[in-house]
Amino acid sequence: MKMTSPNQNSGEAQHAAERQRGQLSASFRDPSGFLFSRGGILYRQVNRKYEQEYARFMESGLYEKLVKAGLLIPHIEVDQPPADPTGETVYKVIQPERVPFISYPYEWSFGQLKDAALATLSIQRRALKLGMSLKDASAYNIQFVRGKATLIDTLSFEIHKEGQPWVAYRQFCQHFLAPLALMSFRDVRLNQLLRVYIDGVPLDLASELLPFKTRFNFGLLTHIHLHASAQKRYSGADVKSRAGTMSKQAMTGLLESLDSAVRKLNWNPGGTEWGNYYDITNYSDAAFEHKKQLVGEWSARLKPALVWDLGANNGVFSRVAGEAGAYVVSSDVDPAAVEQNYRQMKSEKTENLLPLLLDLTNPSPSIGWANQERDAFHGRGPADMVLALALVHHLAISNNVPLPQLADFLANWGKWLVIEFVPKSDSQVQKLLVSREDIFPAYTRAGFEAAFKQRFNIREAVNVHESERVLYLMESLE
Amino acid sequence: MHFAPLPYLDPGSGSFLIQLLIAALLGLGVAVRASWGKIKGWFGVKPKADDEDDEPESK
Repeated sequence: MKMTSPNQNSGEAQHAAERQRGQLSASFRDPSGFLFSRGGILYRQVNRKYEQEYARFMESGLYEKLVKAGLLIPHIEVDQPPADPTGETVYKVIQPERVPFISYPYEWSFGQLKDAALATLSIQRRALKLGMSLKDASAYNIQFVRGKATLIDTLSFEIHKEGQPWVAYRQFCQHFLAPLALMSFRDVRLNQLLRVYIDGVPLDLASELLPFKTRFNFGLLTHIHLHASAQKRYSGADVKSRAGTMSKQAMTGLLESLDSAVRKLNWNPGGTEWGNYYDITNYSDAAFEHKKQLVGEWSARLKPALVWDLGANNGVFSRVAGEAGAYVVSSDVDPAAVEQNYRQMKSEKTENLLPLLLDLTNPSPSIGWANQERDAFHGRGPADMVLALALVHHLAISNNVPLPQLADFLANWGKWLVIEFVPKSDSQVQKLLVSREDIFPAYTRAGFEAAFKQRFNIREAVNVHESERVLYLMESLE
Repeated sequence: MHFAPLPYLDPGSGSFLIQLLIAALLGLGVAVRASWGKIKGWFGVKPKADDEDDEPESK
């Protein structure tokens, strides 16, 4: 017999009600308002409780300034009925511009997290000038829009009371400064701690992991090491009486110090797995150009709105698909490749490309409260087109995934699939087989096609010039 | 090795106090810089514009 406690029932009922209203689970903590979706459009309800702050935010000119600087997502006020059916809590309903693809800090390269940190500080400085202050400094409130780190939570501002310290100081250190310092001074892969610690890296942990020499760096000494010790020492101390004692100059100094601490942190790609991949490949310029030409033709013909380039390296083929008008999520497992991709995107001011760090053998899961706060990677799809170039051999041979499973996996991720088959005779595959037994008898062109035909219609198969590789255009059967 | 997170350990108070302390210190620096700017002003040195809204924004 299945036992259900009354509590569980009401919890489920509440959940069901929230789902019915279309309320999204990432914004449940905020008393100022929440996101909901209706008819495929995303809205934000502004609660009556937040009326004063919202009005001040709009009337002070802060909204306009931030939008003009590309630091805040624009929105319009709409006449939609509120998500709250009684209408009791609602002040306004706004419709923010839709972000083409939501990504999370554990999927960003060093440069992306650093730019998100600097954008947050820049927003806070502008807000203070107009008498407001950020009440959150969450990395999850920043998204990349038109290639730029942009705040997407319009309700993040409160009216600044003279003398109040920055309430988001600790969050800023945990979400930005600690992971950036760890990536810069210890190992760039430590950004993966953000996947475990959803409210940022605990400062005692960061302090313990950072090398001793970081104690001679004024920014890190104060904002991480001393900060962590103070947290331990003054836990539970009554501090209310000291509120209202921070001067304007002190606030300026604090923000300048955080800004300079972040700016001084650096990490340069190089020396990792794929850093100079295209210089060490076995294929000729002709093969490379032929692949680009095919990807370009197919993208132009099918006009996908959203493309996921898996194993994108530094994004050469992502850019080809992007030229046909698609928004391209350009993902790779190598932090150096993603960093290079991001730097190139910034210098060329590309607006429809999002470089992301993603391990396909263990893609981002859904995490947070009830496992619903941050979506798994596949939950943010499907894409209109998936590019899987020079990828199959890594998944099938290095990661030992049977071809039918690989076909299932890719069929769920997008309607169109552009996939390259790299045969066993290829020298790159031979390299992978050097250290392992060849237990892959089905890894042949015929075996590959048989497996993928179960899930796809093979529309085109083209032998790539001057190589043994084959490029396919496939359409998912679903 | 220590395992800190006891259920009632609240990092908030420490963050609050250290912020006040660090900021007070850094605020002094800002104050000194401001007065130095004024002194230089008497001798006709113009301050650098630090208004962020004038920054060219890269898109």
